[in-house]
Amino acid sequence: MKNTEQLLDLQAYVDGELSEERRRQIEATLPADLDAQELVAGLRQLGTLIRAHEPVATVPAAREFYWNQIRRQIEAEQPKAPAASAALGWLRWLIPAMGVAAVAVVVSTQQTPREITLAGGGDVTAVDVSSTVFRSESDGVTVHWIQ
Amino acid sequence: MPGSVKHDYPSEADDALVKWSQQGDTEAFEQLVFRHRDKIYARALMMMRNEDQALEYSQEAWVKAWQRLVQFQGESSFATWVTRIVINLCLDQLRRQKRVRTESIEAMDEESGGVERQLPAPETNPTAGLEQDELRRRIDEALGKLTDAHRTVVVLHEFEGLEYKEIAKRVGISIGTVMSRLFYARRRLAFLLQSLKRERSE
Repeated sequence: MKNTEQLLDLQAYVDGELSEERRRQIEATLPADLDAQELVAGLRQLGTLIRAHEPVATVPAAREFYWNQIRRQIEAEQPKAPAASAALGWLRWLIPAMGVAAVAVVVSTQQTPREITLAGGGDVTAVDVSSTVFRSESDGVTVHWIQ
Repeated sequence: MPGSVKHDYPSEADDALVKWSQQGDTEAFEQLVFRHRDKIYARALMMMRNEDQALEYSQEAWVKAWQRLVQFQGESSFATWVTRIVINLCLDQLRRQKRVRTESIEAMDEESGGVERQLPAPETNPTAGLEQDELRRRIDEALGKLTDAHRTVVVLHEFEGLEYKEIAKRVGISIGTVMSRLFYARRRLAFLLQSLKRERSE
């Protein structure tokens, strides 16, 4: 009969937990040790058996009920949730977007005024809502009206 | 961007759902919960052997998973990552209840060398002929007959694939105790499964 240390060594051998040197020692004595062979085979089979038949279980609650309880806790502890970092993500996009928008406004105010031909033969050029240009080709007159 | 694009969540892989969840998309996270909830619950039930506690800790694990999603970098599968969270919750609870570290008479006997005197070596194919579902149920029953301390090391080693050192660290015991508990638990399982075989043949 083997002592506890020998038994635990054989188990460690099966589990791949021995040092290389100790593993070689066990493998050298194993062919002549029938008890050890039986134990090693038994441990291996038991491991294979229980791993292949891992007990399963189903949550004893409907999907909505189970999820709603989780959702409520997530919402109650919102500051810790990734939603906070999502908000920062929005800011990352928002700041450059605001910059782009500001540049667009400046560029548009410096663009060449768009001309609108009036029924009376004159043109109205709209720069923006606060400035209007009236030009009459026949009279050779241009009027700038700034609101 | 979360909320602006409607995804077909059930058909998406975990990786995509995790990415959207990390951006705050709770619908993506709900799909992950729905997909893996039974596995997480089963692990909690295996550890605690109590349906109410298993339900509570599995839900708590999902809440913690949501809170720590930014830490998930994909080193393991998402399901494995959440499983580790639920195991840690169960271990904390078992420790609080002193269910994994208490030295029982059985454990003292086991650790003083009584193991090999009491129980037979695992027999070759002790459950031959049993249907798969029946075998699964019997193994679950046998696991349920182990003490919390012994079952914990079996779960961590056989189902989670943790090494002795990692089990020792998580449970808060020495590597030697992990080895002796594992050995005792295996022999007890073998004994219980052999008993089932005897029951069937009578």
